[in-house]
Amino acid sequence: MYLTFSLRIMVFISLIFAFILSLPVPSAFAHKVIASAFTSGEILEGEVGFSNGDVAQDILVEVFDPDGEKIGEARTDAEGFFTFRPTLPVKHLFKADLGAGHIANFSMSKDDILRVLAKQQASSSKASPVQGHSEAREEASAPENRPAPVHVLARDGRAQAAIPPELQDMLETAVRNEIRPLRREITAYKEKNDLQAILGGIGYIFGLFGLGFYLMARQKMKALRS
Amino acid sequence: MHIMDGALSQEVIIIGSACAVAGLGWGLYKLGTDQHGLEKIPAAAVLSATFFVASLIHVPIGVSSVHLIMNGLAGLVLGAVAFPALFVGLLLQAVFFGFGGVTVLGINLMNIALPAVLVGMAFRPLILKASPKKAAFLGGVAGALAIALTTLCVALCLLLSGEAFFVAAQLVFVSHIPVMVIEGLVSAAALYLICKVKPELLQTVSHGKTVQTPLNNLGLKS
Repeated sequence: MYLTFSLRIMVFISLIFAFILSLPVPSAFAHKVIASAFTSGEILEGEVGFSNGDVAQDILVEVFDPDGEKIGEARTDAEGFFTFRPTLPVKHLFKADLGAGHIANFSMSKDDILRVLAKQQASSSKASPVQGHSEAREEASAPENRPAPVHVLARDGRAQAAIPPELQDMLETAVRNEIRPLRREITAYKEKNDLQAILGGIGYIFGLFGLGFYLMARQKMKALRS
Repeated sequence: MHIMDGALSQEVIIIGSACAVAGLGWGLYKLGTDQHGLEKIPAAAVLSATFFVASLIHVPIGVSSVHLIMNGLAGLVLGAVAFPALFVGLLLQAVFFGFGGVTVLGINLMNIALPAVLVGMAFRPLILKASPKKAAFLGGVAGALAIALTTLCVALCLLLSGEAFFVAAQLVFVSHIPVMVIEGLVSAAALYLICKVKPELLQTVSHGKTVQTPLNNLGLKS
């Protein structure tokens, strides 16, 4: 009688577990925040969200320089995206507080910022050629920053065609738009916990406790012998 | 449930870590001095693994989801040894799944293990005297209470780090009500099974030789 009762409880519990596990739960976890920033032509673009695919809407993203000085802020839109226009050639640190202990910290390297600033400079000098003189000199002193026409190289290494900067920008924008979902997928994939990690963790636990068991048992044996 | 790196102020992290080290020391001391400490280790390993895996079982709430914790059961069976057991689980969760983080390990340990130990202290003497069915009921209450206390601890940490307590507490507490219900049921089933099959699992010191007193039920030396 008692056995059947406990059996019934076990069946009930396993049914509950099965029910929970069968619900359409996103594979990742709500309490983990993922955030990233990337260059997007003349601006920086970023994304803040939870690792289960939920986006962080209307969240304040603060931007700091490496010394901790605040240099600006941005707000995420309905899709968790934000944009930021950098003005200082330093490493940018982003911080977003999603509430209830959820903090996202991410950064963008100085090299990336310099690339964005160079693009800004190029387009502003294009827009106002009058003030282009001094900038042109600046550009000459930093030749790697100039958006030179890209030469497509043929197999034998000879330049075949030159792509004008406008087309290059268009191409970059198109590629960015195309890889955005891919980037999301990669982020989601990184957050995935596969069976290997779970079994590995359990293995570590048993191994650690086994070691503790061994050490304690050895102590006891020593005490018994002496 | 796990607080993440960078969410708390430094004072809270330092105090939490100090408390966690003290708790770990206490748990290991109890394990070492307990006459049947050796027999506790396999139970501790199983409950540590349970805690580690329970975090992968999700309860969806609206667009978000919360996970099981199973700290109440650990506290009931292990007493103070729950500190080292849950510490190992937390450390591996941080390493493998990125839950919480290494700097907030101490705080998370206090938030999860302290309610477990308190609940264990309060309920174990009652459960030892109860019939299996009553023990199952008490175990269920203990499991749910451990989660409730954990949510309050989390909210307290957020408060001390500058977040509005009521909002944070409400958010964390309300979102964990389903977890309380499920863990209550799981703990009740586990306790029923333990009482039927292996009641000595709940006793710390006494094993025939020592006389069963409420004092050593609490895990205290008499």
